[in-house]
Amino acid sequence: MALINLAAREINYKIVYYGCGLCGKTTNIQYIYRRVNPATRGRLVSIATEEERTLYFDFLPLSLGTVKGLRTRFHLYTVPGQSFYNASRRLVLQGADGVVFVADSQISRLDENVDSYLNLWENLMSLDEDPAKISMVLQLNKRDLTDIFSVSDLCELLNHTGSPVIEACALTGVGVFETLKTVCKQVIARSNET
Amino acid sequence: MPRRKGLIISDEQMRVVETVLDKLRRVTGGTLVALVSTSGQPISTSPSESSSDTLSLAALTASSFAATRQLAEVLNEREFTLLFHEGKESNLHVVQVTERILLLITFGHDTQVGRVRLYTSRALEVLKPVLQSAENSEEDDALLDGDYRQELGKAIDGLFSSDD
Repeated sequence: MALINLAAREINYKIVYYGCGLCGKTTNIQYIYRRVNPATRGRLVSIATEEERTLYFDFLPLSLGTVKGLRTRFHLYTVPGQSFYNASRRLVLQGADGVVFVADSQISRLDENVDSYLNLWENLMSLDEDPAKISMVLQLNKRDLTDIFSVSDLCELLNHTGSPVIEACALTGVGVFETLKTVCKQVIARSNET
Repeated sequence: MPRRKGLIISDEQMRVVETVLDKLRRVTGGTLVALVSTSGQPISTSPSESSSDTLSLAALTASSFAATRQLAEVLNEREFTLLFHEGKESNLHVVQVTERILLLITFGHDTQVGRVRLYTSRALEVLKPVLQSAENSEEDDALLDGDYRQELGKAIDGLFSSDD
């Protein structure tokens, strides 16, 4: 749950973008960084390999200013998608208030999507989080490509929690802000359902 | 499965924390002293003005510490409770306070490492019980009422209105 500092009247929420390698998690964060009001964003931190694959995480803090006397921030993180980085993924997932599962819509990426989804459940449970209770949004990315699964097929495979579904093309920004808006609102709605 | 509790720090607890952090910075000659959560969020800093760099520092410190714990596991060590980075101009010293909270201090070469270690361990004796009780707090987050959520919803719409 969120970190609340009563004395400083500050609240921080953590949102994690999860999904298989090359599904577009970092692309989402980069688009948000480029397009959001510069006054509200902090430094974009990326720990990546020389080939620009995420090694550890990307991090972007967004400030919503003062809401009802509480300084409110959302901290956005991505996890490394490649399967052998599971320890890093679990660490980044720690303390998450909301998760965006970014699915690669291409038919050729079916196995990677399913593995990553199962891995998310496994990691949440190992952190004593109930996957059915955490705020989650399913983003179906790369909808602009051909040879992609239908929305209903992907939902059947990757949405066992009945989470909101957003179609996107992170590269051009379609659905990127809608996804973020949806997960943020879900997090707030659930923030006092403890 | 029980839902994980949040970390809620009261005014009184924060006053103690701030006093300890300020004193630690003064006696060690540190540049920045901060408490951060293991999930990467800053809790309190001395000096109190935090910048976006402080947010990055918190996120990176937490992840660096988490990686160190994994290293300990690989080496069959129960835990590494301390992390130290030595630079040309400044150093970073990180220690674990509780299961979910870290203390970091940055300082220059005019301060001796031993001095930092000594005063940090003294500060931990005060901070530990205060923060452990914050972690076990039964106080609910009554601040996050319907009004807050409604206003925050509007702020989110405003911030992300430049879609597509």
